[in-house]
Amino acid sequence: MNSERFTLPVDEYLALEHVPFYIEDALSQLLEHKEEYTQFGIVRFFADYFNSVRNGNHILFREFSFVKATPYNRSSFLRAFWRSFRQIGKNGDLLTVMEYRSLLQLLCPDFPVELVQKAARIVLMDDAMDCLMSFPDFLYAFQIQFYYEEFFESIAVIYQDLLSGKSPNTVIVPTSFSAEQVTRPATSDTAAQEGVDSPLFCGCIEALCDRYKYSHPPLSSIKEILFQVQRVSFYGFLMAIAKHEGINCDIGSLPSKADLLIDPEMDRELEKLIAQISVSPTSNSSSSTVGHKEPVRKASPRKSLHHRRRIDIESDGSNEETDSSEN
Amino acid sequence: MANALQSGVVPVTDSRSSKPDTDTEFLTQVGAGAVLRGALLKLLEVRSEDPIGFLADHFGNLAQSLENGDSGSAVEGDKKKQHQQQALQSSEEQNQHARALWHLTQAHHSQRSAFNNNVAVAFSLLSRGGRKRKLGLKGRVYTELLRRVCRDGGVAEPVSAPLIKKLHCQDHEAVPFDLFRHAVLTCFVFADFVRKSRSLFETVSPSDGILCRAVLGSLRDALETTGCSDPARYLEASAKLTPGRLAQAMDRAQTLASGTPSTHMGQEEFIEEASALFISRVKLVS
Repeated sequence: MNSERFTLPVDEYLALEHVPFYIEDALSQLLEHKEEYTQFGIVRFFADYFNSVRNGNHILFREFSFVKATPYNRSSFLRAFWRSFRQIGKNGDLLTVMEYRSLLQLLCPDFPVELVQKAARIVLMDDAMDCLMSFPDFLYAFQIQFYYEEFFESIAVIYQDLLSGKSPNTVIVPTSFSAEQVTRPATSDTAAQEGVDSPLFCGCIEALCDRYKYSHPPLSSIKEILFQVQRVSFYGFLMAIAKHEGINCDIGSLPSKADLLIDPEMDRELEKLIAQISVSPTSNSSSSTVGHKEPVRKASPRKSLHHRRRIDIESDGSNEETDSSEN
Repeated sequence: MANALQSGVVPVTDSRSSKPDTDTEFLTQVGAGAVLRGALLKLLEVRSEDPIGFLADHFGNLAQSLENGDSGSAVEGDKKKQHQQQALQSSEEQNQHARALWHLTQAHHSQRSAFNNNVAVAFSLLSRGGRKRKLGLKGRVYTELLRRVCRDGGVAEPVSAPLIKKLHCQDHEAVPFDLFRHAVLTCFVFADFVRKSRSLFETVSPSDGILCRAVLGSLRDALETTGCSDPARYLEASAKLTPGRLAQAMDRAQTLASGTPSTHMGQEEFIEEASALFISRVKLVS
C-alpha cells in the first residue's frame, strides 16, 4: 500500500484489505458462538479474531465460501495446507485426486471436488486423471488453480475463441513483440493440435487484465512465459504458470520448490514421539495412505481461539477425522 | 455441495432474516457497535498500511487495559501481595510504554493531524498517575521513549546520542506536552533523515569520497540558508538542492580534486556528518 491511501474515500480505503468483510464475519462468528465468546468479553474476542486473521489461521475448519472469499483467505489457506501436509512430500508419497481432496476436507469440510480435479488437470496435462501426483506437483498446480480461479475461467473462454478462429471480443493492438512474422495455420484443425498463437493470446490476456477485478498473475510474468514459444496450449500455459517462481512469490503463500519440504519443528516433534514409542512405529497402520502422524490428543476445532496452539495446525484433523474419511 | 457437513454452519443471511431481533438485541447488549465504531474511527484517522494488523493491535491493547484494570483493584496488605503488585506495576509500566510507542508509530509524521492526535494519546497514556506515581510525564520515561523511537527507526545509538542529549530532560522533571510533541516529531524526522542519508550514500558512494563530501557540502549550504523564519529562504534553500545544482557541485568538486589521490568515505562517517548537520539545527532543551 502506498501513500495514496490517505486520499482515498473511506469506502475504498476499507475495501483495500476487505475490512468490512472481516468485521461482518467477526460479528457472525460472535453470534454463532455467543456462549463461548462472551465469557471472555467481546473486546478480547475481536482481538483474538483479528489476530487470527493476521496470522492466517482464521480460515481453518471454516466453510468453503469463506475460504474463497478474499485473496488473502485463499493464500492463507494454501499456506495452512502446505504446513499441515508437507510431511507427505517428505515421505515421497504419491496420491490420487480423491486423496488430496480428503486432505483438503480435513481443513475445509465442504471443499469442492471440482476445484481439486481442475488442479489435477494442470499437473497431468488433462490426461489420465486417475494418475498419482507428487505433493509438490499437486501443491503448486493447486495454488494457482485456487488463487486465480476466476482468471483461468476467463482465459479459457479466450483460448476457446482463438482456437475456433472466432475473433475475440477484445481489440488486438499490434505491440512491439508481435513485430516478428506470425505464421497462422491454414485450418483450425492444426490450431487445435498446436494450441494458439502466443503473441495473439498474450494480447488478449493483456486487454482482459486492463479492467479485471479478480486476482491475476502479474502481466510481466505472463509475457515472460508466452514470449518463449510461438504457440501455446492451454494446459501448457497453466503448467508454466504453476512452475513460475516469480508468480509463486507474487502470491506469497508458498516457498520455492527447494524449501518446500523443510519443516524443522515437525521433524523435532516426530523425533520426540518416535523416541517415546519404544517398539515399531504404530503410524504404519492401514491409514498410512494419507501419511498421517501419531495421534496426538488435541482440542476440538471450535475451541476458543486463544487456546489454540500452533502445533494444532499440524496435527489437527489427522486424528479426529481420518477414521471417518477412510474410503 | 456437502449440505450435511454444512448443517452446523449457519450462514449470516439466514440467521439475520429468521431472528434479527434477538441478534441485534444481543449485539447491542454486549456493546459490539460502540467497540467497532471506536476502532473504525481510529483506523480511518490513522489510515494504517496494515488495517487488519492495526485492528488486532488496537483490540489487543484495549482488552489488555481492561483486564489490567480489573486485576489492579487488588487490596493492599501482605508483603507478598505488595511484591506482586510491584511486579504488576512494572510490567504495567512496560505495557504502557510499549502501547504509547505503538500509538506514535501508527501515523507518519507527515500526516500532521493524525500524528498530533497520536502524540496526544501517547502523552496522556504516559502521564497517567498510578498508585505510586504522580500525574505527569517523567523526564526519565520521556528520554527513554525518545531513545526507543530513534532505535526502532533504524538509527544506531552513537548516531542518535547527540540528538538525545540535546533533547533530554532531567529524570525527575515533568515534561510538558509541547516539548514532548516537539521532541517526538524531531526524532521521527531524524530517523527519516538518517534513512535518506543512507540511501543517498549508497547512490553516491560507488565513486569516491570527493563526491560524498560535495553532496554533504551542498546539504550544509542549503540548511544554513534556512536560519531565519522567512519562508522565502526555504525556497532558496531547496533551490540549492535541485538535481542540476547538485550535479554542478559534484562536477566542480571532481575537477578540483582531479590529480589528488581519492579518499574513501565510509558509511558511518557519512551518516555521522549528515546527522551532525541535522542535530546542529535542533534547539537545545534547557
